[in-house]
Amino acid sequence: MPDNSSKRVLIIDDAALVRAYYRAALEAHGFVVGEALNGLEGLEKLLLEPFDLVIADINMPQMDGITFLRTLRSKELPVSSIPVLVTSTEAGPHDIAAARGAGANYYLVKPIKQETLAEYAAIFCGRPR
Amino acid sequence: MNEFLEQFLIESRDLVAQGTDDLMALAENPSDRERLDGAFRAFHTLKGAAGIVEFGAMTRTLHAAEDILASLRSSEEPINPDTLDEFLTCLDLTSRWLDAMQSAGEAPSTAEADADNMIARLVGSRGAAEVAHASAPGDDTWVGRLSVAAGSHFTEYRTALRYIPSPDAFFQGLDPMNVVAALPHLMTVDVVLTDPDVSLETMNTFNCSLEIVALMEAAGEQVRAALLNVPGKVEVRELASTAIRQSEEVQTNARSLIEAQLLVLQQSDVDRSVGRRASAGRTAVNALLYLGRSELAANVELAIATTKAENSPDPLIAAIEQALSGTGQPERHNNSPTAPVVPRALRVDMDRIDALVKLAGELIVVKNAIGHAAKLVHENEDPRAVIATLREQHALFERLATELQSAVLRIRVLPLRSVFRRFPRLVREIAVSVGKTVRFITEGESTEADATIVDALFEPLLHVLRNAVDHGIEPPEQRASAGKPAMGTLILRARRDADTVTIEVEDDGGGINVDRVRAVARARGIATAESLTAMSDAEATGLVFAAGFSTASTVTDLSGRGVGMDSVRTAVERLGGKVTLESQAGTGTKVGLMLPFSLMMTRLMTVEVAGQAFGLPLDNVVETTIVPRDRIVPIGAGRAFVLRDQTIPLIDLADTLGIQRTDTLSRSPAKVVIASAAGQIGAIEVDRLGERMDVMLTPMEGLLNGMKGVSGTTLLGDGRVLIVLDVEEILS
Repeated sequence: MPDNSSKRVLIIDDAALVRAYYRAALEAHGFVVGEALNGLEGLEKLLLEPFDLVIADINMPQMDGITFLRTLRSKELPVSSIPVLVTSTEAGPHDIAAARGAGANYYLVKPIKQETLAEYAAIFCGRPR
Repeated sequence: MNEFLEQFLIESRDLVAQGTDDLMALAENPSDRERLDGAFRAFHTLKGAAGIVEFGAMTRTLHAAEDILASLRSSEEPINPDTLDEFLTCLDLTSRWLDAMQSAGEAPSTAEADADNMIARLVGSRGAAEVAHASAPGDDTWVGRLSVAAGSHFTEYRTALRYIPSPDAFFQGLDPMNVVAALPHLMTVDVVLTDPDVSLETMNTFNCSLEIVALMEAAGEQVRAALLNVPGKVEVRELASTAIRQSEEVQTNARSLIEAQLLVLQQSDVDRSVGRRASAGRTAVNALLYLGRSELAANVELAIATTKAENSPDPLIAAIEQALSGTGQPERHNNSPTAPVVPRALRVDMDRIDALVKLAGELIVVKNAIGHAAKLVHENEDPRAVIATLREQHALFERLATELQSAVLRIRVLPLRSVFRRFPRLVREIAVSVGKTVRFITEGESTEADATIVDALFEPLLHVLRNAVDHGIEPPEQRASAGKPAMGTLILRARRDADTVTIEVEDDGGGINVDRVRAVARARGIATAESLTAMSDAEATGLVFAAGFSTASTVTDLSGRGVGMDSVRTAVERLGGKVTLESQAGTGTKVGLMLPFSLMMTRLMTVEVAGQAFGLPLDNVVETTIVPRDRIVPIGAGRAFVLRDQTIPLIDLADTLGIQRTDTLSRSPAKVVIASAAGQIGAIEVDRLGERMDVMLTPMEGLLNGMKGVSGTTLLGDGRVLIVLDVEEILS
């Protein structure tokens, strides 16, 4: 198992079940996990604490994933450079293009296996195998 | 791989091309049964070809596609566009595999994972699970039984097989046990009767009623390939627990993540570009570290800084692309330093070969006639009669040599279709990704050009087409408000005029904003304010091709992500062609690439220095002139003169080539050739200006290869060798 202990991942998703599922997947591989319920809360967390990766949903109340991405990318460096993995149930090419257009680095369609999520997190965080 | 590889590559390329044609026609007319049949045949034959060279991943992928096509053929429903797209993607993938095999001599290491993805997409597009018998999720209890039998060793095996030969197997001359015994890396075999309750009395001994199960260390692909044409039911299960497969998948995920960063970098969004680019760079660096490629990661890291400093994504894009090509061959070249490169083969019409044979025959006749004439001289025949014969034969010989030359050139000729047909789908994808609707028309695909030129055209054309879709054609709303149809039109057209092949990319978009070009050119120091005011709009527009125009802070509505049109110009000039640009604000842009029909003929002008003749390619020669000595002034270490208000640097060819002049010509006016290459202009001083001629240029070989300032040699009529100079190198 790679050592991910110093790597911090922020999960932004309004569904508690999804957050718990992701948290379990990531903590099993040694990641430190933070949570936020929507884009606004996610931005606040990112400005307060350092994170290596954000895993964000698209459809969320208050501030959706697209707005969150746009806002994040227009902030100052280094916070604007945090890689973002979008996970969403929408699988259409337009949804993927929209997320990319807003500044997402990758897009996975839900449902996602825990192993897959952990592996992508490890790739995003640059832990050598 | 095996000895059929070369043939396989030729045939497969043809089949991919043919399949693509059929699919594109189906996109126009989804109920065209003939085209559907054609596409089916192409996939089917390709699959068969892949089986012959034992390329399992390709066989499997095409098998899945073929199954879907087969069911489409038997149903009446028209083919849906998504499925069609997946078929095209499948052929694209095949094409990439073929390229990889061409250069490396074997299937790429990512092929298995690519195949898995492709099959999943194909099945997904169809919305049905019943694809290849080999990949259908069926009754897996036999695998369970095998695992119990194998006990703790089960995890060591890669593949499980169940094979039920068809009942008439014996009549087909097939021995099922032989088939199984020939399987690669076989570990355990078990044979049972398909009907365990059968009694000796009722059993038909002529029917094969066996079920064979086996475990092996070979990859599933190898097993499937080995049983490809065996009649009966074959089920192959890959045992997912093996470390090998997992590591392949991991590699693919990391690679696709890196690839996705290229798309992120290609977004044109000025406000948020800094954060976006930095995040893409960070992601790529981390994914490379994850793959254990820290040296590649370091390169990308450097490029992040460059990208930020230059405010252009290009350095980062280039670094990531380079890293990707580096991750494609993980450490493998360490143990096999010389990958066998499959020689490039060309398919030639039989007619063209026949024409050559006929010409060769006629040349023999002329040779005999000349021999006969020599004999007549020897026998003291009247010399005047012999001269008449020789003249006659010389004329004949000249005609044959010319014909032979053009016949040989025609062999190297390909229709542009082979490159044009790759664009419709790419243009569609680019259009979708930037939210535009574009009607893409190609004209003159059957225009022919030298194979080298056709091969080299893809990149520059894609560049131009992408620019047209991205920046030329306006978004639908903007078009509507300008009174244009919402759907933009993009035309790719080719035609041949004598020795020139012209390719045009024409769009009906907003045209190039000349004021913007002037502003950028000035800001980038490409032209001074004075010269810009003096320039016509057309001349100013042409500045987009200037080197350095789009390398940096030109993230504008014009150039977006700073795509370098100068790279298009460079590519085309390298082929001996030139680019043109016409643009009209509001109505559209037309980019023209004018290329020589053949690379082998070069027009030369000869010059003489210190009694020695040299050739200068006429394409580089702007004009020749005579300059009085008193108008030549020293500038720095060099010399220059003013011609029509332009200061032109003057180079003495003898000095440059290191030739000693025996006499000095310093009193007489200088004879100069004004030449241009790669956007530079300069004057070359020579002793004498010579004639013009068409020659076949032979590139320098062996020790002379890479000699500076020389591009090749040619034989003169009197048998002397003429050295042809590389003007670009001489001017630099």
